[in-house]
Amino acid sequence: MTRPEFWQGNTACAEGALAAGCSFFGGYPITPSTEIAEHLAAKLPKKGGVFMQMEDEIASMASIIGASWAGARAMTATSGPGFSLMMENIGFAAMTETPCVVVNVQRGGPSTGQPTMSAQGDMMQVRFGSHGDYAVIALCPATVQEMYELTVKCFNLADKYRVPVFLMADETIGHMREKILIPDTVERVGRKPFVPGNPPFRAADPDLIPGFPQFGTGHHVHVTGLTHDERGYPAATSPQLHMDLVKRLVDKIENARDEMADYDVINPDAEQVFIAYGAPVRTVQQVMHDRKDPNIGFLRIRVVWPFPEKALAKFKNAKRFLIPEMNLGQIAREIERHVKVPVRSIPKLGGELHTPAELVRALEAQP
Amino acid sequence: MSFEDWYRQDRLPHIFCAGCGNGTVINCTLAAVEQMGWKQEETIFVSGIGCSSRASGYILADSLHTTHGRALAFATGVKMANKGLHVVVFTGDGDLAAIGGNHFIHACRRNIDLTVVCMNNQIYGMTGGQGSPTTPLGCLSSTTPYGCAEPPFDLCELAAAAGANYVSRWTSYHVKELEKAVKAGLETPGFSFIEALVQCPTAFGRRNKFKQVADHVEHLRSHSLLKAKRDRMIENGEQIPAGMFVVGELTRRNRPAMGVKP
Amino acid sequence: MKLAIDENRCKGCNLCTKVCPYKIFKEGKKLNRKGVPIPELDRPERCANCRLRNLYGRQLCGVCQLTCPDQAIHWIDEEPYEPHKVAIEY
Repeated sequence: MTRPEFWQGNTACAEGALAAGCSFFGGYPITPSTEIAEHLAAKLPKKGGVFMQMEDEIASMASIIGASWAGARAMTATSGPGFSLMMENIGFAAMTETPCVVVNVQRGGPSTGQPTMSAQGDMMQVRFGSHGDYAVIALCPATVQEMYELTVKCFNLADKYRVPVFLMADETIGHMREKILIPDTVERVGRKPFVPGNPPFRAADPDLIPGFPQFGTGHHVHVTGLTHDERGYPAATSPQLHMDLVKRLVDKIENARDEMADYDVINPDAEQVFIAYGAPVRTVQQVMHDRKDPNIGFLRIRVVWPFPEKALAKFKNAKRFLIPEMNLGQIAREIERHVKVPVRSIPKLGGELHTPAELVRALEAQP
Repeated sequence: MSFEDWYRQDRLPHIFCAGCGNGTVINCTLAAVEQMGWKQEETIFVSGIGCSSRASGYILADSLHTTHGRALAFATGVKMANKGLHVVVFTGDGDLAAIGGNHFIHACRRNIDLTVVCMNNQIYGMTGGQGSPTTPLGCLSSTTPYGCAEPPFDLCELAAAAGANYVSRWTSYHVKELEKAVKAGLETPGFSFIEALVQCPTAFGRRNKFKQVADHVEHLRSHSLLKAKRDRMIENGEQIPAGMFVVGELTRRNRPAMGVKP
Repeated sequence: MKLAIDENRCKGCNLCTKVCPYKIFKEGKKLNRKGVPIPELDRPERCANCRLRNLYGRQLCGVCQLTCPDQAIHWIDEEPYEPHKVAIEY
């Protein structure tokens, strides 16, 4: 059974978090993500959860990592400037394999930029923003319905892979109101249980994910952002240990690339193929609807990182990929790495969506 | 059981230099925790970055060694997500007062039920002795080669002004008093702040005329002024000699606290 | 009870020589494995905790152990006292 609602994206995200069992939210107000914090401030305490308005985004990120180790399903929400502040602790979460969810309702940057306008300029920052090598998961919703569903999915992926997971929404989706169908129950995937007696950071299984030794359960785990051995003890000067640890942190995500891939393929035999994620998906859908041309394909990506490169191979006849993005071609460059045919980036900055006419012009322009 | 049983024996000896006061402060803290009768599985030690913050890694309990300055923010998350846990934070002067200054005053303002033990060596020890926000005026460090020109923070007054329920200051010389102060902090609901001045022979003493570890400890002893005596001196209109710092229980009150186990 | 210094942990700061009210710890000359001179014990039977801990059933004094920054000082249980004959010359 489902129940219809008419919500804006940020409300849907907050409700998705509640449905997923989020029990801790640490946040700081920032346009255009504030509604998520406001909604959870009202709803979380009634469900036995904790809402903390922290003193800044650095503290927000830190608090959800702490809460996650204490057993909570923890989340924060922010936008560009706050996201930049969180970067150090995002690296910490990746290094210590802490499950947590960060919602970034993207706005125009750099710097304070356009607080009330839409953008997708943080797509590379989310993947590479903190120092050192690591891997994370990033999801991009294109509808209010997906705001809800992907938030739930973020929590499940975070707990399953023990990694920070990002919901990379944008101002358009965050503030847009549309009809959404709320399911009665949602799927919940928990953390892998810890086998007592094992070293806390030994990943014996082929999925490279160690069990989660939650605080307060008597496992005496030491969690450190320093390079650590499988007991969790710092061993920052061992080259081999560091190599093995960082490789494992990256491989546990990269190896599961196909398992977690989430995309739609429309007209796989087409020669001209649009690829989009987030708000530009909506413009491409309009073009697809208007043209009804089997020669125009569309790859709609929901899990952007790790990038689903196998999806590109489904378009066997593709002569050209067209990538409308609300940045200067961040994911277009990633796609260029994987395909041999020309990749045409259709960037748009400033906060307005691509118009269907712009996409049609790009489609008709000769390469 | 004694406080020795709270150490991860397989990790000792620790990385602190010979004569460093941090080990003493950890002893005193653990002795206080031991007296509280807390179980190891429900006590969490959180720390930031720096010499002092390595402490959490030597303790046989769940411990979180976090990013520079953010220990209190992490500890807030741990405590609020599970109020049944006892959370003790180890931090240093640079970690707490410089990069973590904002988290410090806000944790005091929230009066969240944490006990913070700050090992104040008046220097950035781990990076080789740079001036910190608590380096006394005129003291030499690698970044204040002509003497520190900036007035230092009084961390205890800062904590009291920001709203902490319990504030006290001792030194690594006053081990018994420090142990009692930490215990009082652990017993107090709300934010408890215990500043422990410690000697740093490698980075601070070496540059500031404390050739021997004992010289620095003797300086800490001779320059500490009991709060009761300080109050008496003020009452009598006496001048408090320069270079003295007040030790003792400076604040104890009962503001509404956050995160206390119901 | 008997005082003992863990030679592997001692870093030779000699703070124990300053804090013991009985001055049991003396600066030593013997080097440990790492080349650090470790303190010597001067008539450790004077230590209050050694003598009276079992009698009182609690830790007494213990300032040296609390102060030792390297967790190198502890007490160990002694072998039970064995009476032996003493030849007395008149």
